[in-house]
Amino acid sequence: MNEESNGIEVEGLVRQFKNGPRAVDGISLTVEPGEIYGFLGPNGAGKSTTVHMLTTLLPPTAGSARVAGLDVATRGAEVRKVIGAALQEAALDPNLTGREHMKLQTALHGLPKEERVRRGDELIERVGLSDASDRRVGGYSGGMKRRLDLALALVHRPRVLFLDEPTTGLDPQSRASLWEEVTRLSTRDGVTVFLTTQYLEEADQLANRVGIIDAGKIAAEGTPAALKAEIGRPSVEVLPVDPARRKEAEDILLRFGSAVPAAGEALSVRLNEGIEELAAIVRSFDSAGIELASLGLNEPTLDDVFLAKTGRHLEGAGEAESAEMPLPASDPDEQAGPA
Amino acid sequence: MTPDRTYFSAAWAVAWRYLHNLYTKPAVFVPGLIFPLFFLAAFAGGLSAVGDTPRFDYYNFTAFQFCFILIQASALAGVFVGFSIAGDFEQGMGRRMMLATSRRSSILLGYALGAALRLIVVWVIITGVSLLAGMEVRATGYDLAGMYTLGLLSNVVALLFSAGIAFRFRSLQAGPLMQMPVFIALFLAPVYVPQELLTGWIEPVARLNPVTALLNGARSLMAGDPTGILLAYGVAFGLIALLALWALRGLRRAEVAG
Ligand SMILES: Nc1ncnc2c1ncn2[C@@H]1O[C@H](COP(=O)(O)OP(=O)(O)OP(=O)(O)O)[C@@H](O)[C@H]1O
Ligand SMILES: [Mg+2]
Repeated sequence: MNEESNGIEVEGLVRQFKNGPRAVDGISLTVEPGEIYGFLGPNGAGKSTTVHMLTTLLPPTAGSARVAGLDVATRGAEVRKVIGAALQEAALDPNLTGREHMKLQTALHGLPKEERVRRGDELIERVGLSDASDRRVGGYSGGMKRRLDLALALVHRPRVLFLDEPTTGLDPQSRASLWEEVTRLSTRDGVTVFLTTQYLEEADQLANRVGIIDAGKIAAEGTPAALKAEIGRPSVEVLPVDPARRKEAEDILLRFGSAVPAAGEALSVRLNEGIEELAAIVRSFDSAGIELASLGLNEPTLDDVFLAKTGRHLEGAGEAESAEMPLPASDPDEQAGPA
Repeated sequence: MTPDRTYFSAAWAVAWRYLHNLYTKPAVFVPGLIFPLFFLAAFAGGLSAVGDTPRFDYYNFTAFQFCFILIQASALAGVFVGFSIAGDFEQGMGRRMMLATSRRSSILLGYALGAALRLIVVWVIITGVSLLAGMEVRATGYDLAGMYTLGLLSNVVALLFSAGIAFRFRSLQAGPLMQMPVFIALFLAPVYVPQELLTGWIEPVARLNPVTALLNGARSLMAGDPTGILLAYGVAFGLIALLALWALRGLRRAEVAG
C-alpha cells in the first residue's frame, strides 16, 4: 500500500496489558480506502484497545499496523496528522464552550489562523450545535457532547476517521443523523471510517464490511450480507394453537430443516433450502389439520453470526460487569427473604 | 525534525486553555498565591523583629523576605502546573492533546508558556503588596531583571519536576508528591536569616540545597550588590537540564500508557 492511500492494514496485532488481560490477541484485518468498517463486539472484547493502538495512543505489544500507509509504531507523528478520532469517552473540558473547543482543536492541529474560526463554525453547524456553541460544554447533554466530539475530530480534514462507539447513549433520531453524517463522509469525502459498535443494526446498516471481535480475536469478517449468507439460511418459527399437537408439528417442521432454539413454546428450524419452502410448510400444516397461532420467518442476523462463531449471543456476551449484573428477580437477597 | 508552525501553534493552544481555565476558575489560581501572601503578612508583622537582631546585616527586612517569597511563589506556580497536567490526564483532555499534536513535546512547552504568563500576574501581586509593606529596593533595572529571571528559572525547575510526576501518575492523587519535595527544599534554605547566621544541622543542609544559591543570588541582586550570580544561574540551568529530561521521559511514559 502506498502512502497516498487511506486504508488500514493490521497484521497480528497484540496488546498485552501489564498485570492485565491480553486485550487484543493477534488480530489481522484490512480496511479499504473510503470504506466504513464496523468493528462489532461485546463489552471488553478489545475494541477500544484496538482503536487506541491504531490511533497511536497505545503502542502494540506485537504485530504491526499501518494507517494511511504509515506504521503506527514508528511514524506516529505523521499518522496523527492524517487521522481523526472520537474516542469512547469524549474528552471535553466542561469549562470551555463548544466554540472554544473548536478554537483549541484547530490550533492544536495548526490550522492557519484565518481558517480556524470559519472551519469551527462550519463544523458546529454541520453537527447541529450552532445554538449551543457559546454555552459551556459542562451543560451539554450526552448526545450533544458526542456530536461536538465528532466535529472536533474533523477539523483537520482527516483521511481516516476512528469512531469508538459513537452512538452509544444516543436517541434514535441523533443516531440516524450520525449515521447519515458518517455515510456522507465516506461516500462524498472518501474518508475511511473505522467504527466500533455493540449494536448489530449499526454494523449491519452502516458498515460496508464488518469484523466481529470477541475476547481479543477476530471471530468473523466480511460484508454483512456475506456473513449472514455464510451461516446461512433463514429459519421458520411456528406456534401450534393446541399444545397437545406440538410433537406432530415438530415432526412436520423437521422435514424442512434442522431444529434451532426458539423462544417459549414455539418451534423453530433452520430451513434446508430457502424461503421458497415456506409455501410447502404451510400446506403441510394445513393438510395435517394443525392450526397455528403464529408463523414467522427469521432471516439470519449478525447476532446469529456471532452465535455461530462464538457459541454465545452478542447481547450480554460481555465481561463480568454486564454479564453478571443481577436481575431483580434473581437477586439472592430477595430469594432468601422471609418465607 | 525541526519544530514547525504547527508545533508552536499547538503549544500556544495548550497555554491558552491553561490560562483560560485559571481565569474562569479562580479556585485554581488563588491557592498558589495564598502561601506567599501569608508569609509576607507574617514577616511584615510579628516576625519583622528578626530584622532587628544585631547580626542581621541585610539592609531591609521586607526586601530580604520578598526574595524568598519571589522564589517560593514562582516555584509553587510551577507545581500548580503539575496539578493541571495531572488533572487533564485524569479527565481525558490529555488524550485529546496527545491525539491532536503531531509532536507531543509541544504539550509540555504549552504548559510552560502558560505558567510563565501566569507568573507575571503572581509577580505583580507580590511585588505590589511588598512595596506597600515597606520594601526598599536598591537594585538597578538590570539587577531587577536578573532577580526576576531567577524567579522564572525557579518556576521552570518546579514545573519540570512536577510535570515529570504528573505524566507518570496521570492522577491528582500524585499532588503531594509534586508539592512536598518543593516545599521541603524551599524551607531547608535560609528563609528567615542570612546563611551566615544559620547554626546546627540546618547549616550544612542549607549549604548544599540548590535553593540557597537561588535565594542568595536574588537577595544580592535586590540589594544592588550582585554576588554568587554565576552560581545561582549555573545551579538553575543545571537543574533545568536534568529535570527537562525527567519531564520528557515522563511524557514518553504517558504516551505508552495510553
Ligand atoms: N489500561 C488497561 N489496563 C489493563 N487492562 C485494560 C486496560 N484497558 C483495557 N483493559 C482490559 O482489556 C480488555 C479489553 O478492553 P477494551 O476497552 O478494549 O474493550 P471494548 O471492546 O472497548 O469494551 P467496551 O464495549 O466495554 O468499550 C478488558 O478486559 C479491559 O478490562
Ligand atoms: Mg470500548
